[in-house]
Amino acid sequence: MSAGDLSAAAAGLVSCETCSLLTQPVHPNHPGHCPRCGAELESRRPRSIQTTWALVIAAAICYIPANLLPVMNTTTLGSTEPDTIIGGVVFLYTSGSWPLALIVLIASVMVPIGKLIALAYLLVTVQRGVKGGERERTRLYRMVEIIGRWSMLDVFVDTFTVALVQLSPLMSVEPGMGVLFFAAVVVLTMIAVETFDPRLIWDAAARQQDPRQETKP
Amino acid sequence: MTEPAAHPTLPQATVVPKKHRRISVVWIIPILAAVVAIGIAVQRILSEGPAITIVFKAAQGIEAGKTFIKYKDVNIGTVTAVQLTEDYSKVTVTAKITKSAAGLMVDDAQFWVVEPRITLSGVSGLGTLLSGNYIGFAAGKSGKTQRDYTGLDVPPSLTGQPGRKFTLKAARLGSLGIGAPVYYHSLEAGQVIAYQLAPDGKAVDVDIFVNAPYDKYVNSETRFWNASGVDVTLGASGVQVRTESLVALVAGGLAFDAPPFATVAQPATAKTVFTLFADQPSALKQPDAVAQHYVLYFNESLRGLSVGAPVTLLGLPGGEVTEVGLDLDAATQKLRGRVEIVSYPERLVGRLTGQQLVTAEAIAHSIQQRRAFFQRLVEQKGMRAQLQSGNLLTGQLYVAFDFFPDAKPARIDWKQDKPVLPVALSTLPNLEAKVGSILTKLDKLQYAEIGADLRKALASFDKTMQETNTMLAHIDTDVTPELKSAIAEFRRATASADKAIKHTDATLLGPDAPGQQELRDAMQEFTRAARSLRILTDYLERHPEALIRGKAEEENP
Repeated sequence: MSAGDLSAAAAGLVSCETCSLLTQPVHPNHPGHCPRCGAELESRRPRSIQTTWALVIAAAICYIPANLLPVMNTTTLGSTEPDTIIGGVVFLYTSGSWPLALIVLIASVMVPIGKLIALAYLLVTVQRGVKGGERERTRLYRMVEIIGRWSMLDVFVDTFTVALVQLSPLMSVEPGMGVLFFAAVVVLTMIAVETFDPRLIWDAAARQQDPRQETKP
Repeated sequence: MTEPAAHPTLPQATVVPKKHRRISVVWIIPILAAVVAIGIAVQRILSEGPAITIVFKAAQGIEAGKTFIKYKDVNIGTVTAVQLTEDYSKVTVTAKITKSAAGLMVDDAQFWVVEPRITLSGVSGLGTLLSGNYIGFAAGKSGKTQRDYTGLDVPPSLTGQPGRKFTLKAARLGSLGIGAPVYYHSLEAGQVIAYQLAPDGKAVDVDIFVNAPYDKYVNSETRFWNASGVDVTLGASGVQVRTESLVALVAGGLAFDAPPFATVAQPATAKTVFTLFADQPSALKQPDAVAQHYVLYFNESLRGLSVGAPVTLLGLPGGEVTEVGLDLDAATQKLRGRVEIVSYPERLVGRLTGQQLVTAEAIAHSIQQRRAFFQRLVEQKGMRAQLQSGNLLTGQLYVAFDFFPDAKPARIDWKQDKPVLPVALSTLPNLEAKVGSILTKLDKLQYAEIGADLRKALASFDKTMQETNTMLAHIDTDVTPELKSAIAEFRRATASADKAIKHTDATLLGPDAPGQQELRDAMQEFTRAARSLRILTDYLERHPEALIRGKAEEENP
């Protein structure tokens, strides 16, 4: 076993998630508290995979109404038009500003679904104990973590538009149900990213190195 | 604390690893999300009304997703698709009806396309300013459900609302459209529901619907008039601007009211035909039961006199000009202006009061009495028609009847269909006439004579000049020598004057001359006076009030 592949868990140690202090746990199942910062020690985030799955599924469910329901109801001179995200993309594309359409498409449609797929992929590989590509998967995880907050931009834009464009009776914008679901997708995936423990990715690699764990049923 | 005693007999407690619940609480989140999403979907599906198809001849402004089906101004559905029929001859409009209105989709329901119109009814309604076409809907009475309809070409009459339908005969449609409001005292009381050319092709039949409770104010004496747009009248009575409302201004409209002279009548029955008047004044005019036509011949310009110009008696309108024409006297080959007027004696009679009114009405209604009265006015009191300028700016003329006791005697021949009334030359000729007369006078000037006179004058002037010349020569020979001696004497006189002045200089202006001393004193005195005057003016400039209040007490610093 090379030093690079050695994990704290394999060595029977716990690293504090808050201050990174490497400690000897009180009991493998109840590691206790960090002697330095007092944070509760966990070898792995508890029920990480299950919680993440639940949140990913919830986000996936919300993703459907987020795209089907209007995010905005624009009332212009008496006629109300509901606008969905995809409708906005199509409108931008047909009105000639395809770069904007592309930005909206990527930020509002592809990023959320990409996050869901990435998380699902990470979960499946961890559950299956897939070996190899740990480094890439960790990088993917980091990317999902960083990109997550930017999807909230849509919700902000929507909120500001609704608050500012109240030129009744000429024009007014009302929020649609879709934006609630969209916000739910963003928030749920962000929490899912937090609940997922990236150390699990490396556990499979550790098992491969450790013949004792390999033989375990 | 005492050490725990060892009790080997007691069993050792075991540590049972805490059992993890197999299902985490976090699964509530996806379940909740699923329930909400499914709930919304179910609600959507449940609230989904029936889809119907309507076949129209043409899809005038109908757009999928944008055109609504409206019943009593409430959206009851949205057009989802517009397609051509299979044989390409018509248009099939597919529409989603809201769940709540599903019950209305019965066998005899009617659909029609409502053309765009500008509705400005109130500030809150501004949103529908440009709402575009929509599909109108009229509920049916049948209980049988129907999903496929054929749209009507013209809107049906409003059957569901309480109120009554009337037909107006109009000479011109003007800017009226379907849905144009009908006003009663500026309140929206109904609307135009249809219009079509009258069967004889000479008028337009405008069908209107007057809502309850306004319909009960429509009686046999009610007058309808066109209140469309701004009514700007430029007549002898000046400029008049009139509009019923902003909506009528933009979208056209009608108005009705009972004329002030109307007696209370029973509400008109539905489908009564009324005449649509062009404007309010003509609509509310008293019906002139008694109308007498007269002809006037004028030997002056009729420019500015138009048909409809008022005919006044002592300044009160009592008729109008019906025709302005020309008359050629066959015997004398003389052209003159021919003006036909109609007089409505009742209008003037209406201005009288009390017993006079009763008497005058009797006179007005009996032809014999009326004629006798009129004849007396003309033949004994000297009543004459006269053209007068109603508006100096526009040059509008009107016919005024006034009394000219010195007028030449005249008679009225009642045998003629339109009796001729005597006229008087206008006393107030218009500007044009004046300018014209000046021009005529100028024209009459005999320029040749003037030229001859001028030449004569010039010749005499020449002679005068010659005489002056000889006179000057005479002066030269006779007067000049004497003048020379006079000048020499004058020179002598000035020399002695010079001497005298020099002497005076010595006495007055010498450095020690008493006059000089006094003069200097006087000058100093004068300078002082001037200074104090300047101080005074300075002070007055700063304190002009001192003139009135006197000098203010100087405050000691």
